[in-house]
Amino acid sequence: MTELTIRINGETRTASVPDETTLLALLRDQFQLTGSKLGCDAGDCGACTVIVDGKCVNACLMLAAQADGRDVLTIEGLATQERLHPLQKAFEDHASLQCGFCGPGVILSAKALLDEHPDPTAREIRDALAGNLCRCTGYTKMIEAVQEAARMLRGKPVGEAGGAQTRTTGQAGST
Amino acid sequence: MTKKAKVADKTQSTTLRTPGSAGDLLRLPAVTLPVAFPVETLVPEVRLQTPAVGQRATRPDGRLHGLGQTRYIDDLAFPGMLHAKIKRAGIAAARIRSIDTREAEAMPGVLAVLTGREIPVNSFGPSLQDQPVLADERVFHAGDGVAAVAALTEQIAAEAIEKIKVEYEPLPAVFDPLEALREDAPRVHAPDSNIYASKVIRKGDVDAAFARADHTFEGQYRTQMVEHVPLEPHAAIAMWDANGRVTIHTTLGRITLGRADVARTLKLPLNRVRLVATIVGGNFGGKNEITQEPVLALLSKKTGRPVKGVFTRGEEFASSTTRHPFIMDYKTGVSKDGRIVARKVRLVLDGGAYCSWSETTLGKACILSAGPYRIDNLHVEAYAVYTNKTMTGAMRGFGAPQVCFAYESQMDEIAAALGMDPLEIRLLNAFEEGSASPTGQALHSVVLKDTLRKAAERFGWKEPRS
Repeated sequence: MTELTIRINGETRTASVPDETTLLALLRDQFQLTGSKLGCDAGDCGACTVIVDGKCVNACLMLAAQADGRDVLTIEGLATQERLHPLQKAFEDHASLQCGFCGPGVILSAKALLDEHPDPTAREIRDALAGNLCRCTGYTKMIEAVQEAARMLRGKPVGEAGGAQTRTTGQAGST
Repeated sequence: MTKKAKVADKTQSTTLRTPGSAGDLLRLPAVTLPVAFPVETLVPEVRLQTPAVGQRATRPDGRLHGLGQTRYIDDLAFPGMLHAKIKRAGIAAARIRSIDTREAEAMPGVLAVLTGREIPVNSFGPSLQDQPVLADERVFHAGDGVAAVAALTEQIAAEAIEKIKVEYEPLPAVFDPLEALREDAPRVHAPDSNIYASKVIRKGDVDAAFARADHTFEGQYRTQMVEHVPLEPHAAIAMWDANGRVTIHTTLGRITLGRADVARTLKLPLNRVRLVATIVGGNFGGKNEITQEPVLALLSKKTGRPVKGVFTRGEEFASSTTRHPFIMDYKTGVSKDGRIVARKVRLVLDGGAYCSWSETTLGKACILSAGPYRIDNLHVEAYAVYTNKTMTGAMRGFGAPQVCFAYESQMDEIAAALGMDPLEIRLLNAFEEGSASPTGQALHSVVLKDTLRKAAERFGWKEPRS
């Protein structure tokens, strides 16, 4: 058994779990934070993406023991009682999610990107989301939403929903 | 007159143009905030009840998705819930000699084990009931379930199925549908033939028309097996109540059909079966029929506790339905100006180990195989053939995408051979208002040519490539 102390969404929690428990299993089964999803359990789909000490990781590939003493941010930690995170607001406004299963992972990957690069190009957003598979949407509206969220976070006035400057279709290989 | 005006006023005062307070961001968006949409929204007289027409709406579930609050089946937990795993055959064709579950049953933490012979009616399927719930006497593909275990944790269940010993007598297997058509091919199910469904469409006289044709084009086109890969794997939770009713929370899409299948396989009256479906993490046709529901129900009955089963990603590929690979032989006769005078099509569907939705796929593919073109002389022959591979079933299109690949590819080839613009040859042959479909139905509201022309204009089809 592994004893661990972990800071999840700003709250310090402790747990005692079998050694082989992944961080994903810890979050979902131990702490009932089911926002992070199990899609493949092999680090391929990104549905389990969480942010550990500022870096986005596949929680299914990390042992709970490895998260001992660390800071973990899950999708449940983004919104406050008063407001949605700009990414969540933008994803809602742009209808970027359909079935929604990949959503938490995508939003957290985007958050990790925006924390480092507050003004990313469409290409940089695509690269940042490359580890998050989505079978429903085709990603276009996600990229638009991330660009709008980036603008919101930079304090810039937000453009019209689906504005012309955020066209990303038909630009294979270009920025 | 005054009465009519009154009704109109009443509706005007309750349109979505007067939204509620926008301050409380965490409330679900019952009304939209004013964004750029035409101020003058059309309110047709007959639709006074639905002022939503013409408004901009957000997806109501988008907010909960973004918050991570949407509850999919795997996010649900019930007190005392156990976890189930299914042992997969790992061999394409075999007779099962024996299944020894004693070591698994003895494992601490394992509460129940289930094999095929305990299933009251061990067969199901949307058209042909040729698929066992758990393989009992024979295995027809490597992803077949042969036994199942319910344990305290997923880890224990996964270890327990490793301990189940199955003795197989390997049988000859066939993996290619064309090979399966041969006289000497191993038989998958029935001893007489591997063809389990077929369809023929005959229109006009193809042989006479081919004799008249100026050019004849032949080609074989193939499409591959595709797995839906919904981000959310198949999941279900089964539990019983004191009145002998089973409730199954499931990712299943067609729950009415699923309920009938569960009632049938468990020999229960329909009113003892309750299926609860909820927001699903992607279906695309792969969650259209039951998979593990009867297994979980029986494990729950044995243990007296709720039992949850979630497919691994590997099981999604090997043990859940996929899209039919098609082998399509097309022979098309055209006049010298590019008009299609005759078309002969043979479709061979790789029907996998079980029928699933093959009959629907076959039917649809047949009718659509001629393409959206006016063809007076048509002959389509299609066969669904058993192979010892993962069962092929419903996947968006049900046969339409495969034949589309074939007839559009051949159209391009014909255009190239005749030195014609690929758009022109299609405009020449396309359906028009009142055209007859391959099965003789008169088609209406046909806007195919207008669409092609408009699209070509927008794509800049005529502009020189830079």
